[in-house]
Amino acid sequence: MEPIFDLQNVSYTYLRKFEALKNVTVSFYPGEQVAILGANGSGKSTLLSILNALTYPTSGEFYAFGTRVTEEMFDTLQDNEFNRFFRKKVGFLFQNPDIQLFCSTVYDEIAFGPLQLDLPPDEVQKRTEDVICMLGIENLRDRAPHMLSGGEKKKVSIASILSVGPDILLLDEPSGGLDPRSQTWLIDLIQDLAKCGKTIITATHDIGIVEQISTRAIVVGEDHTIKVDADSASVMGNRDLLISANLIHRHTHRHGTLQHEHFHSHSKNHDHTH
Amino acid sequence: MIPDWMQKIEARACPCCSVSSTKKKSFVQKAISDILTFFEECLVNDAIARRKGLFQSLDPRVKVVSIIFLIFALAMTHDIHILAVMYAFIFLCAWASSIEMWFFIKRVWVFIPIFAGIIVIPILFNVFMPGDPFFVLATLAPNSHIGPISLPAEIAITYQGINVATLFVLRVACCVSAAVLLFLTTPRNLLFKALRSLKVPKVYILTLDVCYRYIFLFTDMVRGFYMAKKSRSLKVLPLVEEQKWVGSRIGYTLVKALGMSEKVHLAMVSRGFNGDIKILHQYSIKNRDYVACVCFFSIGIVMILASWNMLTI
Repeated sequence: MEPIFDLQNVSYTYLRKFEALKNVTVSFYPGEQVAILGANGSGKSTLLSILNALTYPTSGEFYAFGTRVTEEMFDTLQDNEFNRFFRKKVGFLFQNPDIQLFCSTVYDEIAFGPLQLDLPPDEVQKRTEDVICMLGIENLRDRAPHMLSGGEKKKVSIASILSVGPDILLLDEPSGGLDPRSQTWLIDLIQDLAKCGKTIITATHDIGIVEQISTRAIVVGEDHTIKVDADSASVMGNRDLLISANLIHRHTHRHGTLQHEHFHSHSKNHDHTH
Repeated sequence: MIPDWMQKIEARACPCCSVSSTKKKSFVQKAISDILTFFEECLVNDAIARRKGLFQSLDPRVKVVSIIFLIFALAMTHDIHILAVMYAFIFLCAWASSIEMWFFIKRVWVFIPIFAGIIVIPILFNVFMPGDPFFVLATLAPNSHIGPISLPAEIAITYQGINVATLFVLRVACCVSAAVLLFLTTPRNLLFKALRSLKVPKVYILTLDVCYRYIFLFTDMVRGFYMAKKSRSLKVLPLVEEQKWVGSRIGYTLVKALGMSEKVHLAMVSRGFNGDIKILHQYSIKNRDYVACVCFFSIGIVMILASWNMLTI
């Protein structure tokens, strides 16, 4: 099977001196659910940004759908078929929904993508309504995006990319800032989309959801290189790897008079036996 | 429940295409990348301020006072030779402060054609400044005029015009070089605090400091806006649409900035801020600072006296 994304020795450096990715060679295949794991600042978001052709490697080569991606393909005023194909095919959920949402109402936000596909107006309306209904955000339809709560903004952001109908979803910390119910809703949504054959690549440091949303896990170390690329279950079972990648840490705490110590991840509540 | 249209996976192969690298870039992309480049250079500048060098080792207050006096003296000087020597002297200071010469030249001369060059162009011509012709551009009919302005028989660039223009550009170059030298070798926070030594009101210093802190945050946000739009843009929008989008984002940035300023103020209040601005001063003037201060003032005074023929060198 041909990879949809193929990175060959890709490195990226911010401001000519801060390294974000170092010699990354990795491929992604259609229909996969992949989790990219790493501590804060390891380069997960940069990797997703490169996969979405928003950032271009400082060195190395990035191929999407068999075509080498270069800045000229996306940053010129010239309209080109590859750009349209790529943007239709790949949806990117940003970590910060305030950045992602740029229209004046939630409805306009969701309709933005279908409108650009040059679909007939009734089809645009149908798609927008379908997505609003699917995500259960009917009550937000006419609200201004910047007036919504964090969880609502996240839902609208997801809706805004799903309305284009992308086959590949790049999700940057999708569970960040969500309450437990919204998090469960998100996991269910990702699983449903995966069943439809969507390729879902999720960058996260929330290891609690990894096995539920992915079958393959890539660990990016704090040195900005790929440490491991294996199936999610084996990665989650490798405690030493998770500690070295700063994804879990030893934690001592107290329950009444009982003090004990165990490992847990940074970002979630956790269950454990005493 | 996922709608049917969303469940379809497109099997169409990727269209091969080639895009010429000479095509014009989007103006939004260009503007944002230029702004980011500017801020990028600001970050690099802080790295220069942390290096070991002549100016970096001086007290910020001494630097501010000395450079301001030097700029005053340069503005009072009307001798090209003295200005040329001063330009070389500032270069020497930059070299002694571990600043790359080419970088320093670029920082200074990037603004001079814009601010000084345009102003000085009319002075070159005898229409605005009569003098001995250096190069005749055109010969006109007798008694030619544009509206009420009568024109000379020949339009020419004059020796006197060239002299005045050179003097003006050189003076601007010296003043800008001195200011750039100060900015490059002093961390922003210390520079702002040093302004207190010139009795600049505290409120302005705090405002400058907060602006500098948050401008990076907002730049990053603006870049995020563009990236988010780009990731969802399937086709090139008409210029008017792009301009509308830029307008809406400017408005949104203003709304965010206002919201954030309120929150920042509340955060300051929660940590004890009651409207009275307190700035921590921890400076200690060393002997070399006194020496540097005396040197700069002496150079400035000598320069003024020599320029006004009150001192012969």
